[in-house]
Amino acid sequence: MSVLQTKGIGKIYHSKGNMSYRALEDIDLNIEAGEFVGVMGPSGSGKTTLLNLLATIDRPTSGELEINGVQPAKLSDKKLALFRRRELGFVFQDFNLLDTMTIKENIILPLVLEGVAPRVIEEKLKPLAFMLNIEAILDKRTYEVSGGQKQRAAIARAIIHQPALVLADELTGNLDSKAAKDVMDALKDMNERLGATVLMVTHDPFSASYCKRIVFIKDGKLFSEIRRGTNRQAFFQQILDALSVLGGNFDDVPFARA
Amino acid sequence: MTFRSLALSNMKGNWRSYSAFFLSCVFSVLIFYMYSSFIFHPDVVNGHIQQAAKVRRGMLFCLYIIGIFSFLFVLYSNASFLKTRKQEFGLLSLFGMTKAQLRKLVIYESIALALLSIGTGIGLGMLFSKLFFMALSVFLKVSDPIPFAAPLKAIGMTGLGFFVLFVAIAVLTSLRIGKAELVELFKAGRKPKGQLLFSPWLVALAIVSLGSGYTMAIMLNPFNFFYMALLILVTVTIGTYFLFTQFSVLLIRFLQKRHSVFYNRTNMVVLSQLGYKLKDNARILFMVSIMSAVILTASGTFYLMQINSKQQIYQFYPYAVAVMEKGLQSHAVIDPEELKTHLREAGHPVTDEKIVAGASVSDIKLTRSNGNNIEYNPKTMMISESDYNRLAEAQGKQKIHLKPDTVAMPGSFNPPIERFQGTVQGKAFDYAVSANLSDSVMNQTDMNWMTVIMEDGDYKQLLANVPESEQLVWYGYEVKDWEHAGAAIKKLQVPEDLEGQINRNRADNFATMKETSALTLFIGLFISLLFFIASGSLIYFKMFTELQEDQAQFNALKRIGMTKQEIRKITVTQIGIIFYLPCLVGTIHALFAMKALDGLMESSVWLYSFVIIGIFVVMQTIYFLLASMSYSKGLNRGTASA
Repeated sequence: MSVLQTKGIGKIYHSKGNMSYRALEDIDLNIEAGEFVGVMGPSGSGKTTLLNLLATIDRPTSGELEINGVQPAKLSDKKLALFRRRELGFVFQDFNLLDTMTIKENIILPLVLEGVAPRVIEEKLKPLAFMLNIEAILDKRTYEVSGGQKQRAAIARAIIHQPALVLADELTGNLDSKAAKDVMDALKDMNERLGATVLMVTHDPFSASYCKRIVFIKDGKLFSEIRRGTNRQAFFQQILDALSVLGGNFDDVPFARA
Repeated sequence: MTFRSLALSNMKGNWRSYSAFFLSCVFSVLIFYMYSSFIFHPDVVNGHIQQAAKVRRGMLFCLYIIGIFSFLFVLYSNASFLKTRKQEFGLLSLFGMTKAQLRKLVIYESIALALLSIGTGIGLGMLFSKLFFMALSVFLKVSDPIPFAAPLKAIGMTGLGFFVLFVAIAVLTSLRIGKAELVELFKAGRKPKGQLLFSPWLVALAIVSLGSGYTMAIMLNPFNFFYMALLILVTVTIGTYFLFTQFSVLLIRFLQKRHSVFYNRTNMVVLSQLGYKLKDNARILFMVSIMSAVILTASGTFYLMQINSKQQIYQFYPYAVAVMEKGLQSHAVIDPEELKTHLREAGHPVTDEKIVAGASVSDIKLTRSNGNNIEYNPKTMMISESDYNRLAEAQGKQKIHLKPDTVAMPGSFNPPIERFQGTVQGKAFDYAVSANLSDSVMNQTDMNWMTVIMEDGDYKQLLANVPESEQLVWYGYEVKDWEHAGAAIKKLQVPEDLEGQINRNRADNFATMKETSALTLFIGLFISLLFFIASGSLIYFKMFTELQEDQAQFNALKRIGMTKQEIRKITVTQIGIIFYLPCLVGTIHALFAMKALDGLMESSVWLYSFVIIGIFVVMQTIYFLLASMSYSKGLNRGTASA
């Protein structure tokens, strides 16, 4: 079953003085349920634009987008927000956890907003917290825990309401390599054990090596696509090769892991 | 770019948070100017407007209040402005700006703001002063309207005074810059939010002090007023402070533990943010509560004085005209028929006539309950219990029942009078006083300054000795439309040496009383308004310093699919609580103050208190709507770009 389908979507930004900039052009993408897809590309290639379109916080100027059988373009603002809340889960580079709440409260926020009964909330939280190994920090506040723990909490928040698609944006960008590995392991777990469909945008070849499939874009267009075999190490090498073919500037990858 | 233009552009950039502060400054300058322009008005100074003397002192007093208040307000606002700009100062010093230069920058900014608000305030003050004078002319009953004038002395005093005030505060606050390390300055905005903590002891202290303050307020009476009033003030202030800093945290924590409340949609976001908002703003909320209580109590008291004046007048002057004649058939003071004819022709016919006979009591000696004696030289009149009850019934006052050998007398004495000795026509008597009456049913005149009421049997016995020519007769007349009968009553012809035996001041005194209380209300109104605007501006300012932080939070929430309606609901709820909570606490304080006032004035005032509170709530609502609209706009502007 296809969770996400785009047909020739593009985005043109117009600025004052009739200058237009084509950020994204004619993207066809199809993601099946249970997939773990990475999107890579050099700076300015249109990754973030693509993610914003898929996240429905920006609207394409051409083409069609369908998520879980719904065309977000046809929804009103309010319905779109509700759609985002129910069908999508987000993991951000800067965590986006609210510092006035505990980790637990942050995680269950999507369910609370939906008006789910407190008992059901607790039932859903327990196994998830166990799998992500964040049980011990549930009552802590965001400033008391490490970056890796924050990001795992953010993954829990993105998944607790069982969305059709989880979108992750450079989720290891602010983490050291140990924490990055933990977080990617956790995300992989979610994908493999809970069957969550994940689309991740990243610069980082190491994080990308966790994906099952990687789509490369360059200058706003699809460039190539590679699929993982069984060996992650080999896939990592494959990614590096593809990136060297892709060229462009990857300088903004944190040098600690470049 | 010069230094000055940097200061100006800083102000432009921070305009949204400056605006409410600026408005309050303008308003205090405006009122200060209007009052001083009246005080220094040429006609007032020259004494052309005689009535002005009445209000001059009150206005001067108001000027002091405005001065002190403005000082505290500007001091506090400036300090909190600087606190919110720590990061900016950190950046500037990173670029190599010295501390002296930073201070100079702050002082420049203050001077610019001072000049702007003084200019605007005085300008608006001149514009409105004519209106103010017109209103005053009405209240003072000045025949010619007070002409427009812009006395130089008033302009100078206002301008210079406020300028010195602003600059002095700027210098004071600027000294506090640059004491912290650069790193700290940078981190200032991003300090993590710690756990919400409270001390059970301080919570208990809050409850105990508020409780005891309220209890004392309920028990307040004229006798314990002096030592209780201060105690009440202290306990309520302490209680309010800890109510906001400690008790609020307890309450929020309690609600957060109740999952049925906390886990209910947007409640979670509202409550978890509110905890920090309340904690961060506790001091402001505390001050605003106290200010609201002061505004409400003061306005309530002024209003009360106005409303109460008629009741007080009836207390002192049960009848519009009262005449005392010596001798049963004598009409030495005025002939009743002549009086009635005169008043009828003047358009104020007599609607009620009461006649009471009695005898003169001399050599009076009163004994208080603590054994002290009072010799009372003026003569007074004794009347019978049944006469008293006849008058009391007509006036809707309580009847009395006396036992033989006891008397009742009007007047609140402390300690009360226990024995009454006197002589009637050479015959001495000594009776116990069974009641000190708070109501008097007769107007006072010569020979009747302290009516003594006797049991009917005793009265008859004493009166038997008194020849008819020595008996006293008291006449009380009520006239139609007495409020306007002052002039007609004054024209009644009375022999000059018997002037003391007619009491006809009710209408005049009522007019004076009404005028004074209306004036007080009018002048006090502006001060209340100033307090109100300033307290709102404190909240408003705090709200906007938190706007950026809130924007980041709401951006995060929006990305995970929170609808605009939900965000709106959250912000409006929070702003509402921040605006109405101090209003509510202030109202409760004021209600207890009114209750205390009830005990003092011995009259019920609840309806009037609620009118005042209603007006206050309506005004606060207007402020709240403006603030939340402006806040939402600011929030949307921030989130739209993200």
